[in-house]
Formats: sequence, structure tokens, C-alpha cells
Amino acid sequence: MKTRPMLTLDDCRKISAAAEAEAKKNNWIVAIAILDDGGHLLHLIRMDGASPFNARTAIAKGKTAAETRRSTLVWEERIKAGRNSMLGMPKITPVQGGLPIVAEGVCVGGIGASGVQSHEDEQIVAAGIKALGL
Amino acid sequence: MLRFSSFAVFMFATSAVFAQFPADPANPNETLAEKASFMPYGEPIKLEQAKKAADAALADATKRGWPMCIAVVAPSGDLVYFVKMDDCQYASIAIAQHKAKAAATFRRATVNFERLLGRGPFFSYLTTLDGVIASRGGNPIVVNGKIIGAIGVSGGSGAQDDVVSLTGVGAVK
Repeated sequence: MKTRPMLTLDDCRKISAAAEAEAKKNNWIVAIAILDDGGHLLHLIRMDGASPFNARTAIAKGKTAAETRRSTLVWEERIKAGRNSMLGMPKITPVQGGLPIVAEGVCVGGIGASGVQSHEDEQIVAAGIKALGL
Repeated sequence: MLRFSSFAVFMFATSAVFAQFPADPANPNETLAEKASFMPYGEPIKLEQAKKAADAALADATKRGWPMCIAVVAPSGDLVYFVKMDDCQYASIAIAQHKAKAAATFRRATVNFERLLGRGPFFSYLTTLDGVIASRGGNPIVVNGKIIGAIGVSGGSGAQDDVVSLTGVGAVK
């Protein structure tokens, strides 16, 4: 049998707080979602002024990153490069702003943000992951 | 002749469908209330208030040793804050959100649906209403007589969920 790391509530709070701080620092209004490696929601914040759509998109990006174990940017770029058939992949959101959370070489979940430009969304989630000190 | 008979069959077949059932005097839903009774919506809950509610509920659940999911939504039922405790069952991720949404959009505690359904068949129509969840644990968050959002809790028994949910409600003034 194999044992592997998993995200705890404490981890999620740490990640979310750091990501929110990064957004606030830049005066960005976003939603931030953290999911486990199966794509199940663990933690979500929707900052004042962020739309319900932002909350749904943050979840969708985080879920895509968690389940595919890749940055959502990878999917976006593949499609941009002409691989249109990737749009038919089951329930993926190929838009930058979602990153996998990797601990000890294992994908333990994903984090997604939505509300500002896609590369800024990614900056927010990257700051969140950084707070884990992996 | 053929045309007439098929018409007659048509009328006969559909008349049962269009027939109105007589009111049952024992049915409390037949009573017409003249006054509307509702609590108005207020300014949607802020993230800081949502965190306060969820953190209070989380602290309560942690203290009692109950692994739960806690969701806080705006009056429209859209998620503002969500947290899943370690060891909470997966089903509760969706149920907590559903309870919060139902409490917000129907402007009442979900325990009302649960209790009414328990009263019997006159209330079974409740399960046909969009978005109902007949399980306690969803409660509106009220400030100055206005509903600013709702909190939904799932993970324990209904009674456990509701007590933690109400702790969350109590943390927002």
C-alpha cells in the first residue's frame, strides 16, 4: 500500500490567505478556490465585488488543474496551438489561472482564481501555493 | 362517422386529465392567508462577515469533534465562502452548499421543510419545488431585520448540523 500527502484544512487556509493577500496587494477583486486531487472543493473565498461567475470559474480552473495535474495554461496553449479537439476533453476549463498543488512529487490538489486578467489570476494562485513552502 | 367517434374517444380520454379534484377540507394548504409574511433581503453579505460566520461555526464544530462542511452564500444563493474540515464526508461538500442556497433563496431555515414534510402527505409537494432541501442545517443570516445571506452546514446528523449552523448565524450582527 502507498501513502501519500493530502491537503489539510490548515494548508487550505494558509494557501487562501496568501492568495487573497496577493490579490489585495494589487487591488484585484477575485474568487479563489482550492480543491483536492479528486476535484472536490475544500475551500473558497469570493471577495466583495467578485461575481458568482468568478466563483464558478475559480472552481472550474482549480478542478481542471487538480484533475489533469497541469496548469490550466498548458491546456489553453495547446488549444491555441491548433489542437482544437482538446476542447472536447471532459469538463476541462482551459483558461490560465489554475495551478496544480504538488507536494513530494504528488499532485495533492489544485487552486484556481478568477476576476482579473488570466495571467494575474495565475499570479494570485502561485502566491497561494508558495505559502505552503513546498 | 369514424371522425366523430375518434373525437368522442379523445374527449373521454382527456376529460379525466382536465378534471379538477375537489379540495380536501383537512388540507391546510387550502387556507388563503391575506397577508404576505416575509423578511426582506438586505445588502449582500461581505466576505469578512461570511468568514466570521464560518469561522465561528468551524470553531464550534472543531470543539465538538464533528467533521463538517460549511458554506456561506449571498441572498441569491451564490457562494461567498466555503470550507471543508479534514475527515468530512464528500457528500457534504454539495449538501452544505445546497442547504445554504435553499435557506437564502427561500428566506427560511431548511428545518421548516424537514418538519413540514414530516407532517405528512399534504406537504409532499414541497419536494417538487425547485431547489428545496428538506434537511436542517441551512439558516438565513439576518442583520437589522434583513437577510444578507445564509449559512449551510453538513457532515453530522441534522441536529448537529443545525446547532453549528446557528452558531455561525449568531456570529454576524
